[in-house]
Formats: sequence, structure tokens, C-alpha cells
Amino acid sequence: MILKISSPQDIDTAKYYRIGDVIRLLGLSADTLRYYEKIGLLPPVNRTPSGIRIYNKQDLSRLRFIKRAQKMRFTLAEIGMLMNMRTNPQHARDEVRQLTANKLAEVELNLAEIQVLRDELRLLLNLCRGSEDGCPIIETIDEDITPAKS
Amino acid sequence: MGINVEVFCSPGCSQCGHAKEIIKRIADDIGGDQIHLRDVNVLEEMDYAVALGVLATPAIAVEGKLIITALPSEKKLRKILEERLSES
Repeated sequence: MILKISSPQDIDTAKYYRIGDVIRLLGLSADTLRYYEKIGLLPPVNRTPSGIRIYNKQDLSRLRFIKRAQKMRFTLAEIGMLMNMRTNPQHARDEVRQLTANKLAEVELNLAEIQVLRDELRLLLNLCRGSEDGCPIIETIDEDITPAKS
Repeated sequence: MGINVEVFCSPGCSQCGHAKEIIKRIADDIGGDQIHLRDVNVLEEMDYAVALGVLATPAIAVEGKLIITALPSEKKLRKILEERLSES
């Protein structure tokens, strides 16, 4: 029996997912899901006797990993190697381990930059809140974008 | 000798002027040019302010470390600065 998924809260109670459920939950298109399978990022997905794809929790976990890695602008080839590492970390080739270490360093760098950006945005927002004479952020932006009068 | 004190302010900040007055008064009372004051406009030195952890103004740093993140009471700030001076 296939459970119909209507919200992310249902994930824990569901074991199998139709392609429509995966599209709704992860925001990926059907073409993308089929493509990932075709190029081997996802192992062949189980199918019903009538040929309908049935995704399990592991498939969803892999897809979330792919999505996250793509947000970090990793290439599909890199993601493929990382998926191998994810499947069998003990037996990963040196080259894959090295790639994973490099990607970890990239993520940590990005994380540090994101944290600085977060703090900067917090400060800007607080400056707006604490200002008596309007928002200094908006005034600064205005100054930057308003052409100087000749 | 002395200590470096930075006051982080921003345009339109209602309490920044008051914070600066308090520090200036303390610096004058202590005298001897022991407190080296610097006004920091966070909009002009945003990277520095964020690196120190300034999330609102006014904020006060001593020797490059954030010590107060709101309008300070004069008594509390005087105590902190006197302690720092005695350590320097």
C-alpha cells in the first residue's frame, strides 16, 4: 500500500512515496528526479508492477543531500562522488576522501561568510529599529543609488 | 599608556549621544589622557563593527573587545574602565 503524502509532517509515518509526493516535498521536478536516476546519482528506484516509481526514505535522504550540495554549487560529477562516499565511507577511494575534505573546507568557509552576513543584517535591522530619525539603512541606500546632482 | 575605548554609534541613534557624553565625562574625571576615545560610525566601519560582534548601537569596546552592548550606566562603565586601567 502506498501512503499519500500531503505535508512534511507526514514524512515520519510514510514509508514509500510516489513521484508526485517527492515533487511536493522536495520541490524537484519529475524530469529532474528521472535524470538523477538516469545518471546514477540515485540508484534505480523501486517500481510497482505497473511501473510506477516508488521512492523510499533513503531515496529522499539522498535527494535532500543532492539538493543541499547543489545549493553549494557542487557539480553533479562531484555530487556523484560524494554520494559514493555517503554510501560506503569506509571504502572510499583516496580521491573521493580528498574531494570530501575539500568540500568540507568550502562549506566551512561559506558558513563563516554566512554568519558574518547574518550578523551584518541583524545590526542593520537593529539600527533601523533604534533610529529616531528614520532608517539609516534606507538613507544610505538612497545616497548610493541617487545620482549626484550636477 | 592608557586604554583605547571605542564607541560604536550610528546616524539617528537616540542613545548614542548620551553614551558618548558619559564616556567623555569619565575620561575627563580620570584625566591624564589615560582614555583614548574613538567614535566609530558603524555605517562607515561595518566590517569592523560586525567582526567585534556589535549588533546594536550604542556599543562600547575596550582594546578591541566589545564590553557593553547597550546604553551603559555611568557607574558600571566607570568601574569597568577603572579596572581596565589598573590592569594596563
